[in-house]
Amino acid sequence: MVKASATVDIVQKKLVYLYMCSYAALKPDLALLAINTLHKDCADRNPMVRGLALRSMCSLRMPGITEYIQHPILMGLRDKAAYVRRVAVLGCAKMRNLQPDAEIVDAALVNELYGLLRDPDPVVMVNCLRALEEMLKQEGGVVINKPIAHHLLNRIKDLDPWGQSEVLTFLLRYTPRTEEELFDILNLLDDFLHSVHSGVLAATICLFLRLSSAHPAVQADVLERARGPLLSASTAQCRELRFAALCHVQQILRSLPSLFAEQYKKFFCSYSEPNYIKFRKMEILIELVNDNNVAVILEELRAYCTDISPELAQAAIFAIGRIGQNYSEKCMSILTSLLGLKQEHITSAVVQMFRDLVWLCPQCTDLVCQALVDCEDYILDSEGKQALIWLLGVYGDQIPNAPYVLEDIIDNLKTEATPLVKLELLTATMRLFLVRPAETQDMLGRLLHYCIEEESHMAVRDRSLFYYRLLQCGVDETRKVLGSIKSDPFLGGIVSQQQEPVNNWASDFNSLVPIYGKNQWEAIKSARGSMSLSTEEQEEVQPDLPGFEETEQEATTSSSKAVHFEPCLSTSPPISPLSFEQKWLTLQPCRQVVVSWEEGDCAPNILQDALSHSNICALAFSKPHTWPWKAYLYSHGMNTLILAELLLNSSTDSLQITVKQEKDNKEAVDSFICVLEKVIEMMKSSKT
Amino acid sequence: MSASAVFILDLKGKVLIYRDYKGDVSMSEIDFFMPVLMQQEEEGLLCPLISHGKVHFLWIKHSNLYLVAATTKNSNASLVYTFLYKLVEVLTEYFKELEEESVQDNFVVVYELLDELMDFGFPQTTDSKILQEYITQQGNKLEVAKLRVPTTVTNAVSWRSEGIKYKKNEVFIDVIESVNLLVSANGNVLRSDIVGSVKLKVMLSGMPELRLGLNDRVLFSLTGRDKGKSVMMEDVKFHQCVRLSRFENDRTISFIPPDGDFELMSYRINAQVKPLIWIESVIEKFSHSRVEIMVKAKGQFKKQSVANSVEIMVPVPSDADTPRFKTSVGSAKYVPEKNVVVWTIKSFPGGKEFLMRAHFGLPSVEKDEEEGRPPITVNFEIPYFTVSGIQVRYMKIIEKSGYHALPWVRYITQSGDYQLRTNA
Repeated sequence: MVKASATVDIVQKKLVYLYMCSYAALKPDLALLAINTLHKDCADRNPMVRGLALRSMCSLRMPGITEYIQHPILMGLRDKAAYVRRVAVLGCAKMRNLQPDAEIVDAALVNELYGLLRDPDPVVMVNCLRALEEMLKQEGGVVINKPIAHHLLNRIKDLDPWGQSEVLTFLLRYTPRTEEELFDILNLLDDFLHSVHSGVLAATICLFLRLSSAHPAVQADVLERARGPLLSASTAQCRELRFAALCHVQQILRSLPSLFAEQYKKFFCSYSEPNYIKFRKMEILIELVNDNNVAVILEELRAYCTDISPELAQAAIFAIGRIGQNYSEKCMSILTSLLGLKQEHITSAVVQMFRDLVWLCPQCTDLVCQALVDCEDYILDSEGKQALIWLLGVYGDQIPNAPYVLEDIIDNLKTEATPLVKLELLTATMRLFLVRPAETQDMLGRLLHYCIEEESHMAVRDRSLFYYRLLQCGVDETRKVLGSIKSDPFLGGIVSQQQEPVNNWASDFNSLVPIYGKNQWEAIKSARGSMSLSTEEQEEVQPDLPGFEETEQEATTSSSKAVHFEPCLSTSPPISPLSFEQKWLTLQPCRQVVVSWEEGDCAPNILQDALSHSNICALAFSKPHTWPWKAYLYSHGMNTLILAELLLNSSTDSLQITVKQEKDNKEAVDSFICVLEKVIEMMKSSKT
Repeated sequence: MSASAVFILDLKGKVLIYRDYKGDVSMSEIDFFMPVLMQQEEEGLLCPLISHGKVHFLWIKHSNLYLVAATTKNSNASLVYTFLYKLVEVLTEYFKELEEESVQDNFVVVYELLDELMDFGFPQTTDSKILQEYITQQGNKLEVAKLRVPTTVTNAVSWRSEGIKYKKNEVFIDVIESVNLLVSANGNVLRSDIVGSVKLKVMLSGMPELRLGLNDRVLFSLTGRDKGKSVMMEDVKFHQCVRLSRFENDRTISFIPPDGDFELMSYRINAQVKPLIWIESVIEKFSHSRVEIMVKAKGQFKKQSVANSVEIMVPVPSDADTPRFKTSVGSAKYVPEKNVVVWTIKSFPGGKEFLMRAHFGLPSVEKDEEEGRPPITVNFEIPYFTVSGIQVRYMKIIEKSGYHALPWVRYITQSGDYQLRTNA
């Protein structure tokens, strides 16, 4: 093989080198033999051969190669052919990668690379940035100071789109000194908002948002101007690019729901699109609903409900259900009419939506109860069954045939596989028993008997034993226990989520985060634990808490205790309002604190902001100007989940904090309260 | 962006060719790609982004190939997809058809190209015209003497080589407008837009400087001309050769073109236009016996224009049989593998209205599975006509040798994503 590389035929040479690159790691001793030829080729008079040899040599991944490639790389950096310089620059990064444990990066080499940023060849310049970034990973990557930033800005027009988006990303590191400079940069880069390349477009938007993080008006303006390009990217020919663009649109909508409101028709699905695009489009449509277009959008979503793919049809029904939280009447009629199709997956999804709707909009209850008749025959999956059973249990007094439906299910209990359905069934039958004892008594007996005697799932058995003993205490006691659970209507407000400030996601823009979706990304990241990714992640997150971070730092230094505890809190994994409520009702308060609060009203969005920076999630608030004003918070820390309620009492001018926690951990509660008090202090000071 | 490795897989997930650029992803990771993909497909949650362990796979599918980029970084997704599409574009230009067979037949060139397109995970030279100058399919013919770095690789004008010569200097300009349309079942236009593009075929010697004049409304209002016959273009995008600053200042489109074919600019027009070909359909399905289809097509464009090779695809149930057709013009054909009737009309003059009736038998035993409701789709092409009314007013060609060159202009309007939903 080595001999074969000493040929004049360039294609043969290429293949031999490629072969060697793949196998050098396995047979380092043999690969060493090739070094000589490679060295010779590095001095060939044909620049293509020089480049090829250098590239191959740097790609040999074997120990000890560095001493051989150092010299050729240095020569390559000064080569007169730009092609060779390009290769040599990246070669530096490859060399660095081969000796990760070497502590000090060769300063001379770094300087040489910084010098080459002025190279006339644009690709050499971009490669320099890339290489420096790779080499200086430990020191936080390449430094972009004012002269470099300005140099890059001047050169950016000569670059190819790859280089452009790369440079735009590097420019994120640079913070302009003055406002004047900032706006100069924005003006200079304005053209790139109209780039054909969606990558460059996204990079530009990201840079603009980050640069103008202190000027919300500018940010809004940027997004406004990016609307056209984003729309056409969302209708791009390549469906993956379309998908990526849609994901970013969705991200933007979270802060500016009105941005695309008029163009909602652009997000109607076309028959031939793959499902992942259709799912995104539906989610976007939900965000875009307003009084003017609700009828058209619902009509469109209705058409998707009969789609051939059950997943898509269900997603469309869920979408209608979500819109129903604000436009319940229209949605109810659509959902009810869908039941007429008598399709299993449709009926199941509709009933699930019914459950959610009556929970949030109690005014739909009558309609739901009427519609529910006869749909039990078409529900086969367990989610649908759970929803149906829940509805039958809670509204059993309004549904005439409720006991008979439940009886059917109880009779076929042996074939039921999922314990969740059984749990739901137990509760529902108990509830029904309380309102219609005569019809239910017999079947409840059978159900309890079966679940206690024959059931193998522990949770189901425990639950039925619990109910059995409860019944032994008497009906009145049972009624007290089962009947007293009433939802706090404030929790209903959760659904209409607060608009997220742009700066919350600006740092994630144009990365994989919007594509995965934030929750999934968090999951992936936590699954990877503290693997190599995290260092890079943290660097990115740090600079984007403008303004806020400083105040927080001041606050933290004032109380050293908190400095120690604060990092322990975290808002992930998120918990749903429903599970929050369940937990809140089951746990005992472990601490109560009263703070004075004379500032009167509390603006929820400010509080939410402040809390989220301290890693406390505010799940729900009552509306401003309502008394008593309440808020529900939670946070994870030190292996425990902490829940808290804020109760603002206007008569005593005090804020009462009630804290509950899942597992006993005094330290965690201490730190939680400490953080919370600090936030409240800050809010007070900001008010005055 | 940075891709650690690029793979080309066949439909079964077998690796045909891969290139490891960074060495930070184990090459066996790709074995997990296909199982995850299959699982997602089964759950109906297919997504062009797959994560496994600490690797993210971004993939696209082209004919019977999967092109997959693996990365460990939180990189920029659209850029990676663009790169993969660029790879497809380059390979297609080399092999005409990019598919499993052509990759296997030309693996040497694919390796060479992968080597040049990207280094250490960063895209390098991706312009296929420049690549073609130094990677040729008849690689072994390359003689030592001929070997030189093409000037373009390092040129200031990276998209054009110096010293190009033509006997006859010509420029062909194609103005192509695609009409996208989506009509709901009850005949409301849900979405309608025009995507236009100006494509050039440049056969000019030397380093010519070109200037293109369009009836752009912004330009007309700048110069105070009558706006009557001008067009409002939105979201105009140019090939990188166009000097954007000049366009921003005075709406002049000036550029040094690359050699050969390329897309100079694209634009979008949002103005509502009447659907060019309007379809009314009645599809009556009598369960267990028959389907009756009546389709009326109307040309809603100027009488002088003629739409060519009009194809109207009407969906029919998959279990339909014994087709019978009656058409007032053109011919209808049943294509059972796509479950459509294709009604072809060679030439369809504006203002005319045609009718087709079709009759199908249905089996008496109904099949269980429900079918989707595919829309009627229409393909057509109207030459010498643009919906938007855009016009090339002039094309100035200046070269220092002072030759005379001829511009040729052609206008075409064609169907893009043209769909009308049906009731049945």
